[in-house]
Amino acid sequence: MLIDLRQVSKTYQAGQVAVHALKTIHLHIAKGEFVAIIGQSGSGKTTLLDILGCLSRPTGGEYWLDGENTGALTESQLTTIRNRKIGFVFQTFHLLPRKTALDNVQLPLMYAGVSRPAQISRAQELLTQVGLEDRITHYSNQLSGGQQQRVAIARALANRPALLLADEPTGNLDSQSGKDILDMFASLHREGQTIVMITHDPLIAQRAQRRITLADGRITADESTGSRDPVLL
Amino acid sequence: MIGSIFQDAFKNLTANILRSSLTMLGVIIGVASVITMIAIVEGGQLWLVNSIERLGTNLLFVWKKRLTVEERRMFAGRNTQLRYEDALAIRERFPELVVAPILELDQKLKTGDRDYSGRLTATSPEFSTIRNFHPATGRFLTRSDLKEWKRTIVLGKTVAEVLFGSSPAVGEEVKIADQRFTVVGVMEPKGEVYGQDYDEMMFVPVTTGLRFFTGNDKIRSLILHVPERGHMPEVTEELHQFLVQRHDGVDDIRIRNQGEFLGAIDQTIWTFRIVLGGIAIVALLVGGIGIMNIMLVTVTERTREIGLRKAIGAKRRDILLQFLIESITISVVGGCVGVIVGIFAANGFGNMVAQSMPGGGDWGAVIQPSAILIAFLFAVGVGVTFGLFPAMKAARLDPAEALRYQ
Repeated sequence: MLIDLRQVSKTYQAGQVAVHALKTIHLHIAKGEFVAIIGQSGSGKTTLLDILGCLSRPTGGEYWLDGENTGALTESQLTTIRNRKIGFVFQTFHLLPRKTALDNVQLPLMYAGVSRPAQISRAQELLTQVGLEDRITHYSNQLSGGQQQRVAIARALANRPALLLADEPTGNLDSQSGKDILDMFASLHREGQTIVMITHDPLIAQRAQRRITLADGRITADESTGSRDPVLL
Repeated sequence: MIGSIFQDAFKNLTANILRSSLTMLGVIIGVASVITMIAIVEGGQLWLVNSIERLGTNLLFVWKKRLTVEERRMFAGRNTQLRYEDALAIRERFPELVVAPILELDQKLKTGDRDYSGRLTATSPEFSTIRNFHPATGRFLTRSDLKEWKRTIVLGKTVAEVLFGSSPAVGEEVKIADQRFTVVGVMEPKGEVYGQDYDEMMFVPVTTGLRFFTGNDKIRSLILHVPERGHMPEVTEELHQFLVQRHDGVDDIRIRNQGEFLGAIDQTIWTFRIVLGGIAIVALLVGGIGIMNIMLVTVTERTREIGLRKAIGAKRRDILLQFLIESITISVVGGCVGVIVGIFAANGFGNMVAQSMPGGGDWGAVIQPSAILIAFLFAVGVGVTFGLFPAMKAARLDPAEALRYQ
């Protein structure tokens, strides 16, 4: 079991009003699954992504990641978890400007304390893997949206994370680039990578092996999407 | 990792070159003014001390204290005057000292159709040696001038010019109170030191002065040169006792040494140093506030970057270091430029003073390495201090919120 959410809830205090973004979520995700979390805006999927990505803590319940109770970890330990176990892919790519593709991919390796030569060779290997071997020294603003997202995927995979967490990864891309990115996810999934992808688009969610529907802070459906890959439940 | 943080800091600063330069300007002005202010004060001090020491070193000045009416009544009949004989007695008792008696007389000098009113200094040949003040033409007073009450006079440069214009003065005659005096020498130019214009002085033998003008043997003061600087305190003490004894036990003598004057100058200089240094430090602090202001803007602008960095594994201390290094880079680069600007400004200002001040020809800014070091370290300190708050603000950002900051 990679992800184990036990009665997780999240309540924000917005002024005088308490906003219940998540209400007692139970969720298990095994290693190697490709899961889409789908929901309207305001359904709590961003809050869920933040918790899964250890970017914020639940206000109730427990989140066990890879056998570890994240609630017992310090801020600094959570940062290390994000660095080693989680790879983020965002809708807006979040590449650093004025930096090359190589620099961007090196970043998580640098924070992991990898030596500089090892950073460079690993980053080159990853960029080759995502098909950007001829764009290594390009600055991020010299790349197309699809290329930028591939750099972001290379960056997410840098420390061989247990979980690849994608937040609307195709939201800012044209349909062809979007399809390429989803193909890349599918191929990563075939190699055994656990992927959790958040989207509002049912068609994109169709590419995953399992679809979890979120509405009003609760899971309302959890179903196999009938893709060719076997369901590991 | 530190290496790439420095690289990043440099990239970010050069990407916003105008903004970074303006921020640095505050530090540059601060550092340059610290260096300039210190250099000017040090230069001024050196100039003052030099100009005082140019008029002799290791000097003691002896005056008669003014007695109160009561004291005068009490000591009536006792020998309570500073007299020429005191000078002679000192010379006998302390042969290693060089002694010059001084009597000042306000007189009018006449020659043909010109005249000059001024203060005559009646003294002995030693004055020239003690004060390091020598004739440019002719000679100074001699022992035989004193012995024979000769009516010889040595003129300061200005006096000679007023009375004789450009024609030679030596050998000419001047009349003082209907007495004919022969000009035997004209002094070298010396200029003004501490309110006294040495070019306006005139010298006659002290014996002549006493005999023809005052008719007694009271003198105003004594100047003494002590060959060994280290002996000055003992000499002062012994001299004091010796004179009190000669004055029938009345303590009517005041002895001051040159060091006390220099000490007074030191105090003045310290006041200047504190005031000017304070102004310069305020300039540096304002520069620091500029750094803080810009760093706060930078942190806000780069909130999303900070969120991303935290999401992919940057710890608080990594973010703190990143922004701190950026502000330190501003202050270090600004500090270096400020040092260079400061050296130029100090020298330029020094030259300006040298040219505009009478007798300031040898005035110059004194730039001490310690001043440069202090200014530079202070600038870096300002960078750290004022960069710390924005850097801490950055380090404490919540990653989830920062990532989605618009």
